[in-house]
Amino acid sequence: MTAIGFCDLTVSYNGTDAVVGFNDLLHSGEWLCLIGPNGAGKSSVLRAAAGLVPYKGSVAINQTEIPAASARWRAQHIAYVPQAPVIPTDMSVYEYVLLGRNPYINYFSSETSHDRDVIDRVLDRLDLVQFSARKLGTLSGGEVQRLVIARALAQEAPVLLLDEPTSALDIGHQQQALELVDGLRREQGLTIISAMHDLTLAGLYADRLVLMHEGHRVAEGTAKQVLKSETLAEFYGVSARVHHEADGTVVVIPQRSSRL
Amino acid sequence: MPTSVITTRSAGGRDKQPLSFALSGAVVAFMILVGLMIGPAGPQWWRIPAELLDHLPFVSLDSGISRADWNLVWQIRAPRVVLAALVGSMLSVSGASYQGVFRNPLVDPYLLGVAAGAGLGATIVFTLQRETTSSWIIDPLPLAAFIGALCAVLVTYVVGTAFGSVRSGTTLVLAGVAVTSMLTAIQAFVLQRNSDVVRQVYSWILGRLSSATWGDVRLILPYVVVSSVVLLLHRRLLDVMRVGDDEALALGINVRRVRLIVVLAATLGTASVVAVTGLIGFVGIIVPHAVRLIVGASNRVVLPMSMMLGAAFLVAADIPSRVLASPAETPIGVVTAFIGAPFFLLLLRTRDVSR
Amino acid sequence: MNKLTKAGIAGFLFALTATIAGCGSSADTTDTTIAVEATELTATYPVTVGDLTLDAQPMRIISLSPTSTEMLYAIGAGAQVVAVDEYSNYPAEAVALGTMLSGFEPNIEAISGFTPDLVIASYDPGSLAGQLGSLNIPFFIASAPTNLDSVYEQIEQLGLLVGHVTEADQLVASMQTEIDAAVAAVVAPATPLSYYYELDDTYYSVTSNSFIGQLFNLFGLRNIADNVEAGNDYPQLSAEAIVSSNPDIIVLADTKCCAQTAETVAARDGWGGLAAVVAGNIALLDDDIASRWGPRIVELVVAIGEAITKASAK
Repeated sequence: MTAIGFCDLTVSYNGTDAVVGFNDLLHSGEWLCLIGPNGAGKSSVLRAAAGLVPYKGSVAINQTEIPAASARWRAQHIAYVPQAPVIPTDMSVYEYVLLGRNPYINYFSSETSHDRDVIDRVLDRLDLVQFSARKLGTLSGGEVQRLVIARALAQEAPVLLLDEPTSALDIGHQQQALELVDGLRREQGLTIISAMHDLTLAGLYADRLVLMHEGHRVAEGTAKQVLKSETLAEFYGVSARVHHEADGTVVVIPQRSSRL
Repeated sequence: MPTSVITTRSAGGRDKQPLSFALSGAVVAFMILVGLMIGPAGPQWWRIPAELLDHLPFVSLDSGISRADWNLVWQIRAPRVVLAALVGSMLSVSGASYQGVFRNPLVDPYLLGVAAGAGLGATIVFTLQRETTSSWIIDPLPLAAFIGALCAVLVTYVVGTAFGSVRSGTTLVLAGVAVTSMLTAIQAFVLQRNSDVVRQVYSWILGRLSSATWGDVRLILPYVVVSSVVLLLHRRLLDVMRVGDDEALALGINVRRVRLIVVLAATLGTASVVAVTGLIGFVGIIVPHAVRLIVGASNRVVLPMSMMLGAAFLVAADIPSRVLASPAETPIGVVTAFIGAPFFLLLLRTRDVSR
Repeated sequence: MNKLTKAGIAGFLFALTATIAGCGSSADTTDTTIAVEATELTATYPVTVGDLTLDAQPMRIISLSPTSTEMLYAIGAGAQVVAVDEYSNYPAEAVALGTMLSGFEPNIEAISGFTPDLVIASYDPGSLAGQLGSLNIPFFIASAPTNLDSVYEQIEQLGLLVGHVTEADQLVASMQTEIDAAVAAVVAPATPLSYYYELDDTYYSVTSNSFIGQLFNLFGLRNIADNVEAGNDYPQLSAEAIVSSNPDIIVLADTKCCAQTAETVAARDGWGGLAAVVAGNIALLDDDIASRWGPRIVELVVAIGEAITKASAK
């Protein structure tokens, strides 16, 4: 069963193509990671799926094409975690996670007890209960990251889109966040599409990688298949060695130019 | 599990709300009563509550108030106090809504051109021989101000959304600045050619409650009620919009539509209020900020509290307006400015104004 | 009739009106009882002027217009006035009342605090009419006139309302006579003299369509501000336009507000060489007299006449 499918997705900004003819099918529970240099179109694919930019072609959830007019329907099926989320400093943690229930609350109504139950469960799962009443401005970077994921979970959407989820975190929190997402994926059968810069981490967690360059898909497959030093040199312009660990982890190691 | 439930439930501060609302309601009622009791002339202050109580069933009190005095209180002072409450409430909830929908704390209800449009409409009427027009069947002054305000916002909206698919609030704000400048320039030109009405226009712009009648109250009541109800219904949506247009959209909010409705509703209410009282400044900015200092930034609470405390504020500000320089009036815009300026300095000192 | 007889009759009439005017003004300063006696002879109530009907003689009048104040005192109703506005600075009795109401931002409660039985204003700044109506206080608007006849009509209307019909008639008659005399006393030169009327130091002026302009028309003067801006009777002139039209007479109505004098005018760049400046044909008017349309317009007309005589004499 396809959880999410892209058919000929094309995104243009002011006449320039950011994404051209993107096709993909993900099954439920799969983790796809988009990699590629800056401007390759990774974020644009995610933003198009989240309905933030107009696109040509189609995006379908469980074989149902997303209706263009219904932001609510989309929000019930796709949860988007932006690269730099807006954090209103004097909003409380509870209120922030409550925002994730918006797609289920009627236009003029307030949240129901069911909504509150969902929030309680999410806060519990992400270990944020003790922060409930705290204001967002008092949280650390790692706590904020958990919080944003919590909000996305509150949407109870089968598809989770993560745009550079680890860019602002230290190595420890990077691991925590990705482990958390992986755990949730296994528990709840979430389908995940992420855009990432860190190639090693991308290879470590994703089932499949897609390398994008100037809006086109130029390589796809497992980490071993995509992360090759010639490929990286061609599309990233980077000089790197690729090392294969015993357990199958692919490690990308940038090389310094020879010292004189 | 039970412990965490209790923690999260009370974390929203929801159990504090009924108390805050009740308290605010009491403040408004008290302020209105005080407003009715104080004035530059008329009966002694204690006769008024006595007379009001006498009107209650089963209560019989002789307040000793004379017919003429009661007439003064009821025909002159009461409409003024009620109008102050309505205007203060409308401007405050409008300001709070605008601040929410544009995510900008410096925004006031006159932002998108309401002030300039109304001012121009009023100026044009004043230049057309006010003495004769004031006795027409429909007084053209509030009508022109109202239409002028609405047209200005319409132009702002068209200009602000004309350049491609723009969801950004900033563009609208900029368009509002442009339209305001344009209309103000036209107004200056008209005034220059009709310098004999400058004084009247200026005094209209400063804002006044001194000419309040029950007719004015009846005139604006439907607009204020409709506008306030629509705005209050959108409280929760404004809270969702606090995380920005993109994230709000991703959370299922039709940002363009919500913004349009909120702007329309707030403008309608503000335009009607401006039409009868001129441009009373500062209320729309100070009150929402003051409310946020007390109850936090959640629009769910800020909007209704702004309505109530805004009413109380303007009723209170109107008292020195009619008593301070008696037998002359101090324009209410001057009183609110005197309170507003130091308040802003205080705001800068004590708190991060960014959200 | 020969010139001597004409002069004789004019002189006699002038002396007569002066005497009557003198009687009228002394009646202003007598105490209430005598004034009441005088009015009992002329008052018949109820009276109706326009939409306003008064059932009895108003004894507690509030004037929110400086011109109306002057008119009321001039027709002998001063004793009936209990409060005036802040700009009513003439006559001294009005100032002595010590009230400082505002005609622009009227405080309706303060007004009603005086328990007036007639309120007079020159325009309705807000819903004054409605508010006074709901308090059953009679309200009369004595608006700014468009011509001299409207002034006389207004004086007579006031006279009828406050019960001083005879004094009003006498005032009108004396004003007419004095104005006619002032006009007649001036020998106009063959080519009409031109004048520039200055309202303030940013060169706002008036055309001959305005009320004050019409007073100048009595003398057949030419206004340099005419045809400057079609439809605007209070145009702002540019310094260049004024200087290039080189008016024969400069009339300053901003001596009080903006401290303008013959010296300050002469000191303006480029004005020193104007014919009016060189010959000293700069007439200084009291701002108040120039902006009101009460009995003191006679002084205005006289001042204009003197300026013309001086300018014609060269």
